[in-house]
Amino acid sequence: MGYIGQRIPGRNNLRLARGAGQFTADVQMPNPCFMALVRSPYAHAEIEHVDVSAAQGLPGVIDIATAAEVAQATRPFSFARPPEVEVNLADMDGKRLREYALAERWVGYSGRPVAAVVAEDPNTAAEAAERVAVQYRELPVVASAEDALKPGSPGAIPGWNDNLVFHTRYAKGDAASAIAKAPGVITGRVQVQRHVPVPLEPRAFVADYSTRTGRLTMYASTQMPHTDRSILAGALGMASEDVQVIQPDVGGGFGCKVPGSDEEVLVAFFARRLERPVRWTEERSEYFLACGHARETWFDFEAGYREDGKLLALRIDAVADIGLPFGAWVQSSVTAYCLPCGYAVDHCEVSMRSVVTNKCKWGGYRGFGKEAASFCMERIMDRIADAAGLDRVEVRLCNFIPADAFPYGQVSGALLDSGNYQGAMAKLLALVDQEAFRQEQAAARTNGRCLGLGIGFELTPEGCSMPNSDFLQGWDGATVRMDPGGRVTVLTGVTSPGSGNETGIAMIVADELGVPLDTVTVVQGDTDRCPYGLGNFSSRSLMIGGSAALAAARELREKLLSVGAKMLDADPEDLELANGEIRVAAAPAPPAADAPRNPGGPAWSVPIRRVARKIYSHAFGAETAHVEPGLESTRYFRIGNVHHQPETEGRLSFYPTWPFMAVAVVVEVDVETGFVEVLRCAAVHDCGTVVNPTLVEANTHGGIAQGLGAALYEELLHDDAAQLLTTTLMDYTLPTAVEMPAELSVAHQETPTAATPLGAKGAGESGVAGPMAAVASAVEDALGVEGLALMTLPLKPERVWRSIREVAGAVQMGETA
Amino acid sequence: MRQPVRITVNGRELEADADTRKLLVNLLRDDLELTGTHFGCGTGTCGACTVMLNGRCVKSCCVLAVDADGAELLTIEGVANDAPHPVQQALAECHGVQCGFCTPGMVLSAIELLQDNPAPSDAEIREALAGNLCRCTGYVNIVAAVQLAATRMAQGDA
Ligand code: FES
Ligand code: FES
Repeated sequence: MGYIGQRIPGRNNLRLARGAGQFTADVQMPNPCFMALVRSPYAHAEIEHVDVSAAQGLPGVIDIATAAEVAQATRPFSFARPPEVEVNLADMDGKRLREYALAERWVGYSGRPVAAVVAEDPNTAAEAAERVAVQYRELPVVASAEDALKPGSPGAIPGWNDNLVFHTRYAKGDAASAIAKAPGVITGRVQVQRHVPVPLEPRAFVADYSTRTGRLTMYASTQMPHTDRSILAGALGMASEDVQVIQPDVGGGFGCKVPGSDEEVLVAFFARRLERPVRWTEERSEYFLACGHARETWFDFEAGYREDGKLLALRIDAVADIGLPFGAWVQSSVTAYCLPCGYAVDHCEVSMRSVVTNKCKWGGYRGFGKEAASFCMERIMDRIADAAGLDRVEVRLCNFIPADAFPYGQVSGALLDSGNYQGAMAKLLALVDQEAFRQEQAAARTNGRCLGLGIGFELTPEGCSMPNSDFLQGWDGATVRMDPGGRVTVLTGVTSPGSGNETGIAMIVADELGVPLDTVTVVQGDTDRCPYGLGNFSSRSLMIGGSAALAAARELREKLLSVGAKMLDADPEDLELANGEIRVAAAPAPPAADAPRNPGGPAWSVPIRRVARKIYSHAFGAETAHVEPGLESTRYFRIGNVHHQPETEGRLSFYPTWPFMAVAVVVEVDVETGFVEVLRCAAVHDCGTVVNPTLVEANTHGGIAQGLGAALYEELLHDDAAQLLTTTLMDYTLPTAVEMPAELSVAHQETPTAATPLGAKGAGESGVAGPMAAVASAVEDALGVEGLALMTLPLKPERVWRSIREVAGAVQMGETA
Repeated sequence: MRQPVRITVNGRELEADADTRKLLVNLLRDDLELTGTHFGCGTGTCGACTVMLNGRCVKSCCVLAVDADGAELLTIEGVANDAPHPVQQALAECHGVQCGFCTPGMVLSAIELLQDNPAPSDAEIREALAGNLCRCTGYVNIVAAVQLAATRMAQGDA
């Protein structure tokens, strides 16, 4: 029996629980100095003058950089391209934006770095930064997408003729006339608020530069070390060979630790300029201001449906407030690309306008736009159910893409590899006894308690692979080597921000080589040691990096078998690798295995380490001369079901695998205060073949926590001048153990994909949209007020309380409750 | 301004000359190289910096190093010697660890809870850990791990 499919806890757990993790801020370097940044207090302004004299005089200050110096020593980012790529002069429809790590003359969001200080200790650096005097001239602020789209709106970016950066459109059939003919039509707006991922570890960078070697070493809390290397080398004008990026333990990423930040470039800039280790660890307030926001999108929809709930036609006009157009604003296009998610709609029109404002850029965040799409569709399903007087589950079942219709081409051209949504829903309903709940609900009502049940479904495609992208590719590399003692090292281009894929990859390799799991070491996150890879995003590490490791291990396996066959005087086909040995498949159980098969003849089995030793130490021998020396293989894996050649393939499809989840929550709502408590949550998740259920479930638990946070608590708020109002964890509140439901379970359905050799789809990102939708649905169910539609999150007490009172009949409901 | 600080950390008496602005968390991390205590917010909200000061959990980002003068401190590095503490062992086995950034703080809060209440209910565990944020696990396996540790500690077999 192999390891795949077994419940095995993460291999780093004990080390981390003992406090022996090494996160970037823990990396010790001799004689370090510390960076602090001067950030713009205005969302939109011209910089008239920067005076550093008061900071310069402070004892302990080592260096101060102004924008002009940084501009001279580095290359700019274009919003369309990182600096190592030849800049595309047209950028996008003639709209250009070039920015250096420090703002030279213009700031476009509050929190933008304007000057940087380095000192002997962090407190002095912070004090010096405060002494830098910057004179600004305020410009008109574009504080919302609504304002940005108004005719005559001031520009969020000077020189642009409007505030639209990208317009994504997809269509199939004739939605307008189908809606006109539909028996029932509903319209409305779904709104997803602005969020941040908030990994518990703030961003951190430590860099050193050696004049002897001319090399820069960067320790970075990053998800993508190789991409990071390219960006740093490009920004500093260095050869990428001269930059080493090391990713120590990472305290969570969730998409926000992608490379290309101003702060990281500045740390590298100072390390080279001072030839001394430079450290920077983000303050939590800086995280909220400047790391990267996500998700803020509204969806205006119009849907035509049949009496039985079948969605006949759908039009969605979406607008995303992407702040400044750096970072991961492409998430808004992904939202459009996913619509209408797991539902089959014959006539569908999707429009998504990605609009710039004077807010922080977007950064990646778990779901990468898919969560907004799913949340939108789930709300539409509930609205159809309400309008048609149907059960909310029934409406979903009658609109799901049928299980036998895969691979299924969605409106955008996306080719959904596989699925069985009805199966997941059926499995969920078997876990959640709806009838029993209705009785519980009725009983609670008589005691004045309002309980509600909500169901949500999410589609979370994984393994993003965009054409011509320097970041998002669906391939990766891995090296597997066995040393003469039989120990295995796996070096991967993928990384783990704490999600556990190193454990899953070790299991895959151990199975393929038939060796004990604890003899396999996995090395990740070092550009000097690991093969080129794209790192961690889009739940790709296990399914793509694990597949690369599998391919490399397979090569080693063949060689071991070939040599083992000679040593055992057997046919390689008759051999198996397991438990650290190569044995003749028909071998009797040990201890007889060591006995000769016939007097004076070969044995039944040989330890794999002895085969390895033979390959290393006796390369010219009879058993080994027919194979190439050495036991090392590097392989690259390109995932299936990615289609980048529309001329010949008829489609552009950039997500290879399409995992999904059905989820139910039970909430209790306090009608007097609007306070919502989540009592129970159950989910059925399908990511194809499950390599390690423990890891998939644990990741999904975390996703659900983030989904519940989004549903009930989390929201970035700005004032009219685009000043961020939520800059601490006391304002942007995350769920604690108390807010999480006492009962939370995740079950699996396994619908394998053909896109990977093991049938595994991406896992880890799932869990956000389903709970968002299910909570909204459950709160409506709990209140039972006709016409109540909670289309905007988070469902903070105030919002629920107001919503209750805004709809007619609310007062009676309060009385009957 | 600097001031001498004398503290006992994990049983060792130490003396440091600390900047009066220095936070206890930074004294531990930067001067004593005890980097198992993490810094996640600086506002007392996340709990990553949790240590025990004179036997009670505190957020070491909210204590000035000079205010810890004369105190006895226990950090994650000191909760166990060779064998891990039952809470650490249970967190590893129950996979109550993902990125591990919150984990040292969780361990200390859980140890404090189990000192006060050796047989807590799930709700009591959640209450006791409410000052420690985790963004990875949804707390599911952490709560299970603390229960497992409590059971084992009660049986004395850990
Ligand atoms: S760093 Fe002390 S509570 Fe967050
Ligand atoms: S394990 Fe990552 S924050 Fe808790």
